[in-house]
Amino acid sequence: MNELLDGPRDLWGRIRRDVDWVVVTLALAIVALAAMNLNSAGAGDWTGRVQAQLRWVGLGTVVMFVVAAIDYRVMYKTAYAAYALGVGLLALVPLLGIKVNNARRWLGTEDYRLQPSENMKVIMVVAIARFLHDAAAKSPRKGRQLLIPAAMVLLPVAFIVKQPDLGTGIMLLIIAFSVMSVAGLRIRTILAVVGSGLPSFVLAWRYLQGYQRRRIDVWLDPQQYADKEGYQTIQAMISVGNGGIFGRGVDQGTQNVLGFMPEPFTDFPFAVYAEEWGFVGATMVMALYMCLVLWAVNIASQAKDRFGALLCAGVASLFFWHVVVNIGMVLQLVPVSGITLPWFSAGGSNVLTMMIALGILMSVSRSRQYRR
Amino acid sequence: MINVRGRDNLRDLRPRFQAMVGLVVLVFIGFAVRLCQIQVLEGDHYSRRAERNFVDVVDVEAPRGRVFAAGGEPLATNRSAYTLYITAWTRFVRDGEAGTVPSPEGERLSMDDATVELVISLIDFVDEDDEARFRDRVASLRAEQDVGKYAQLVRRNLSWEENARLQARLDGIDPWVEIRGTSRRYYPQGAITGFVTGHMGNIGRGALDRSPHLGYRPGDRVGQTGIERAWENYLRGRLGSRSRVVDARRREVQEPPPAATEALPPDRDPIPGQDIYLTLDVPLQDVAYQSLSTKLAGGVVAMEVKTGKVLAMVSVPGIDPNRYEQPIAASEWNAWANSPLKPFIDKTVQEHFFPGSTYKVVSALTALMHPEFDPDAEIECDGYLRYGGRKFRDTHRHGVMNLESAIIESCNTYFYQLAVDNVLSLERVEPVARALGLGERTGLGLNAEVKGTIPTPEFEAREGTYQGGVRLNSAIGQGNVKVTVMQLAVLYGAVANGGYVMTPYLVDRIETNDGKLVFESQQQRRNNEPVIDPSDRERIHRGLIGVVNNREGTAYSQRLSGIVVAGKTGTAQVGRDRRIARKGEVLIEGWDTTQDHAWFAAYAPAGDPRIVVVAMVEHGGTGADAAAPIVMKVINHYIGATTMQTETPPRAYGVPPPLPGAADPDPGAGAPKGAGQ
Repeated sequence: MNELLDGPRDLWGRIRRDVDWVVVTLALAIVALAAMNLNSAGAGDWTGRVQAQLRWVGLGTVVMFVVAAIDYRVMYKTAYAAYALGVGLLALVPLLGIKVNNARRWLGTEDYRLQPSENMKVIMVVAIARFLHDAAAKSPRKGRQLLIPAAMVLLPVAFIVKQPDLGTGIMLLIIAFSVMSVAGLRIRTILAVVGSGLPSFVLAWRYLQGYQRRRIDVWLDPQQYADKEGYQTIQAMISVGNGGIFGRGVDQGTQNVLGFMPEPFTDFPFAVYAEEWGFVGATMVMALYMCLVLWAVNIASQAKDRFGALLCAGVASLFFWHVVVNIGMVLQLVPVSGITLPWFSAGGSNVLTMMIALGILMSVSRSRQYRR
Repeated sequence: MINVRGRDNLRDLRPRFQAMVGLVVLVFIGFAVRLCQIQVLEGDHYSRRAERNFVDVVDVEAPRGRVFAAGGEPLATNRSAYTLYITAWTRFVRDGEAGTVPSPEGERLSMDDATVELVISLIDFVDEDDEARFRDRVASLRAEQDVGKYAQLVRRNLSWEENARLQARLDGIDPWVEIRGTSRRYYPQGAITGFVTGHMGNIGRGALDRSPHLGYRPGDRVGQTGIERAWENYLRGRLGSRSRVVDARRREVQEPPPAATEALPPDRDPIPGQDIYLTLDVPLQDVAYQSLSTKLAGGVVAMEVKTGKVLAMVSVPGIDPNRYEQPIAASEWNAWANSPLKPFIDKTVQEHFFPGSTYKVVSALTALMHPEFDPDAEIECDGYLRYGGRKFRDTHRHGVMNLESAIIESCNTYFYQLAVDNVLSLERVEPVARALGLGERTGLGLNAEVKGTIPTPEFEAREGTYQGGVRLNSAIGQGNVKVTVMQLAVLYGAVANGGYVMTPYLVDRIETNDGKLVFESQQQRRNNEPVIDPSDRERIHRGLIGVVNNREGTAYSQRLSGIVVAGKTGTAQVGRDRRIARKGEVLIEGWDTTQDHAWFAAYAPAGDPRIVVVAMVEHGGTGADAAAPIVMKVINHYIGATTMQTETPPRAYGVPPPLPGAADPDPGAGAPKGAGQ
């Protein structure tokens, strides 16, 4: 309390003290590389996607600082309301949503559209964190404490999978499960859930739709589908490998420039980047993401309360799983699933979500300074 | 509720955070290892695969060698043309803004029905078959993705209108449809030199399988007949290649990244085919064609006597070889194939006929070689001869004949008698005929020459036709004697040049595209010593001059005013007495198969023969009326064109020319006895 009062009085001083410069620096570095990469993906065409992305980044940055300025305990209070709003929007999608490429995922118009499933990711983190915070106060552990958050997750997941967007649905599950794991899920429960993943997948196989099964097949043997769905996977691998150690240089990657790299804006921007910047550049970007995640964990571990800690852990896993799934997809370690790479992938809702997540991180980071 | 002032005890979370840090670091290290594997260890492999994506090596067709006539006139050249290519399975990839992509990016999509119909509606098909073939071709490309994913040639030589129509509609269909500038064969002389140049066609499956070492590709055009076929290996150039940078839509990139350009394999220039210069005399060929084409079917050959150079070679009817460059309607093709006039057959070398009386030269030479034969001995002709219970006919009663007058007046009975006397047996005639080039291919090496037949007793026995009378018929060029027009030209050439059987040739020389000599023909004699004794030659020669210049001669009516021509008529009976249409036979106005084949073989000028010309008109009637005028026109044109000034003053009609090596003949010897044969 005293420190708060005794702190710098001038604005610049307070900004210097309150803003988490590590987060800002890491985010800035990633956003800069992402913008440049989008420019490459668009073959130097600044209009359209790149410009739109930058507009979203600008808006997102403002939102980030606004969120950072809010005491995260306000989020605690509004967590369930936000959750209700998020699920409500998801429920509206099947009714009012617009359809693109056979999937109904968006609200709004063709030009200005919102993807509620994206925003749900961060809302979910906040809601779960609040529940787990409250639950910890009312020990001992009970089965109910596991069932309620599970239900909280499965409701929006059901909507999302129905869109259909299996990738995002699974993403939401994984993020929520990560937060619960950090919050104190018993080790054997974690192991049981992870261990049951494979058998349950086998069970779920028959319920998967044709194209979803196909993605697994393609992942296992892309060459066999070289003229169909496997094309993207194969070309992404070629792009990455073509980068070599030091990369081909900006706008010199033949895969990207000559149009062999499909979906360079959404699913495979990392392949474009890896071709241009090579092993050196690719590991650098991965290191930036890793630092951001580790820094989030660091903030979490220093948080004053369980809610803040779990918020940061949630944000950390949000970033972590996005990066792992997207880059893993490029490196043919996981099936193609349409999970975006934060800031590298074009998409307004995604950028906004990630910026809000950063804002939450900064908000928690700010409060941890008020020690004792 | 949140504890605002104090701090929660979060010690229980610490191990979880540590685990999280461990997991994150481990996963990222794992990813770095994977990156290292792909980019550092296997980088070269993927770079090569990237190159395979954008390097497109396209064949560059070599221009085919041209064919020229002796005077430099082009007979076969190349012209630019438009060719339609279809890629039935095109990869759809990012092209500007998203949203236009109809399916997962990178997927190959088949050409849709609407596009096929659109393309079909823009092409002028010659008939339903043509359209059906086109549909089948496109359908098969759509059915087989492995083939259909490459641009495949579907139609050659689009007309200017077709090209314009397609170009105008190309915008919507260009993922599948492409028009490339190519070249086509063009024959300026058309049907006039049609059988000489031959024509082109798609390579057959059999030829493709037989010649893997020659590097032909399915759909390649190769020579099918004539020079185009016989000299295919010279005319055909060597394929070149050009490598280019293409994008994912396989369209050439105008400004590729420098690294891509460096990765391109070097271009190979095509080697143009070699140009062939023929001995053919185009004006002479034209004269021969124009005069022969007044008839329905037949052949003319003109050859240089001393060298064997073929100066003209015409067969009628023929098909303009330019027609083969475009689709041919099935109805038209069937009409050709079923025509009794056989427009596909080169009648100068590809079919043999009874030589009729032109063969009497062979009989006479054989007789002269007989030690007991007296050419001046006289034989009475009653207009027929009975032998073995059969009556062997003559045209009319010739009266008293010796060898010379028998040739001049073409008396059959005289030769029947020689055959009856066994002066002309099959055994005796056959070696002479063979020595003069009959019964063998002349060696021209064009259009699948046939050998003709010269009967031997063994042959007749095999055919089951051997009986005593055969040698009588054979003596006058009937029976089983068959020769080609080209063979007869070689034979009369040998009489003209003093007994040398020349190998006829059409190709004078071959040059590379930049004018280097590759091959030059040498005149070739089949025999080092003359096969005809000079005194025998002189007798025959006198007889042949008499045929044209003696009042009794069968071709006297056809004599030329300024040129002494030596020749022999022939009227070959073809054995159909009544005009009964065979089943399914196509009747053609003026085509009377009861009519005889008309022959005339001649050389000129008689004093120093330079050209030998043989004409044959199928079912044309008598040799003098149908064939001789053609020969005379050709000779007249050739001698007129090659003689600067006439060596002798023109001779009036009716005035006999001085016979070489003989005293002035008695112009009034023997009264005319009607039209000779």
